[in-house]
Amino acid sequence: MAEPMAGTPEPITRLIDAFHKLPGIGPKSAQRLAYHILRAPAAEAEALATALRDVKERIALCSQCCNITERDPCSYCTDPRRDTTVVCVVEQPLDILALERAGGFRGRYHVLHGVLNPMDGIGPEHLHIRELLKRLESGEVTEVIMATNPSLEGEATAMYLHRLTGPLGVRVTRLARGLPSGADLEYTDDVTLSRALEGRQAF
Amino acid sequence: MTSRTRVYKTEGVILRRRNLGEADSVFTVFSPGAGKFEAVARGVRKARSRMRGHLEPLTRTELLIARGRSLDVFTQAETIEAYRPLREDLDRSALAIYVAELIDRFTIEHAENPGLYELLLATFDALAAGAPAHVVRFFELHLLALTGFELQVDACASCGDRLPPADTLLAPSAGGLVCVACRAAAGTGRIVPVAGIKVLRYARGCGIDQFAALRIDPDLARLLQGALTDVIQHVLEREVVSRRHLDEVARLSRASIPNPGQDVQ
Ligand SMILES: [Zn+2]
Ligand SMILES: [Zn+2]
Repeated sequence: MAEPMAGTPEPITRLIDAFHKLPGIGPKSAQRLAYHILRAPAAEAEALATALRDVKERIALCSQCCNITERDPCSYCTDPRRDTTVVCVVEQPLDILALERAGGFRGRYHVLHGVLNPMDGIGPEHLHIRELLKRLESGEVTEVIMATNPSLEGEATAMYLHRLTGPLGVRVTRLARGLPSGADLEYTDDVTLSRALEGRQAF
Repeated sequence: MTSRTRVYKTEGVILRRRNLGEADSVFTVFSPGAGKFEAVARGVRKARSRMRGHLEPLTRTELLIARGRSLDVFTQAETIEAYRPLREDLDRSALAIYVAELIDRFTIEHAENPGLYELLLATFDALAAGAPAHVVRFFELHLLALTGFELQVDACASCGDRLPPADTLLAPSAGGLVCVACRAAAGTGRIVPVAGIKVLRYARGCGIDQFAALRIDPDLARLLQGALTDVIQHVLEREVVSRRHLDEVARLSRASIPNPGQDVQ
């Protein structure tokens, strides 16, 4: 363990602690980052501090789709060319970027900010599900596309939302699941393979 | 298996996963020969990972593992049984996750318990084949027995006296059914009717498929579920976290299906 040396000035230990709290940052990396900042020009450190403050002060969740945005409602929710009757439900804001890069989807989004994780106690109240229900109750949405990951938790979340929204009579669809491009059949797991077979298409 | 073996091979069921760093995950595995253990899969969260789908929780997998200094490392993983029906049905998925959590909570690392492994596979097989939710009672009763907490259902758990065929208190702190004379001293519990006692006794001697085929009145099934939950929480001295999801799912299915029949606990 890279415990800061005794006598390390308090502002440095505080910065190390702050980095250490970030996901994927161990004690050694935290120390390296802190000393990097210490040696960096004042302007660089200032820019980082400003960026950190701005992201908390200026970025909020869109009151409609819960995507992160600088302006509420977000650009997807205010774009008049997007279909308001189809909502694509994703786990994270980054998933929207992936779908947008792929192109082809011209409806609206809804960001859950996580998935159900029954063993870790992550329940519906931890996700932005209430906001989704409110949107569906308004009656404008006719189709919900579940675009959660095909993991155990992603599937559980999609099935849960399907059952939860059942009484609202909205059509619920699931992204087709197949082989990722570049996948090697030999190493593909059985679930992915059998789902890909079921989703096969004629040439 | 000696501790000097650098690489070892085992099958196991993936119980849970937690992320480590940018691209790694640590998996908790329950195996027949090595008991419960943890190991890390490097790069498993990258899209191109060859192991990813083979290490999904609830998968029965053939594993090759290299001993590491702090954490063992998966070097190969190949699915034996993916239990797809457990992933693609909300109720079965909730039950299977609950079963996996109980295995995790009732075991300690590196203590082998092949009988418990067999029980886990039999329970997953039964759930995957569409067995009703009450098979989880069979799992719970045998889990308790296989981990040294067998529920006393033959005679009074406190004094050992014969139990007359009547409504009887199941007291978690006494470890089973208690006679009328011992009731006051046995603490809280639930009164189990004769039909329920028969179910508890039947579970000990029958196979899981026979138990699954039992017809249990929904009210009785619910009572037995509550009673066993009490016992399990008493033994663990804590709540089973995934129980909340299971209850929520059951609540939704009662709300949306007018006649849930045998499937509701
Ligand atoms: Zn929005
Ligand atoms: Zn007694």
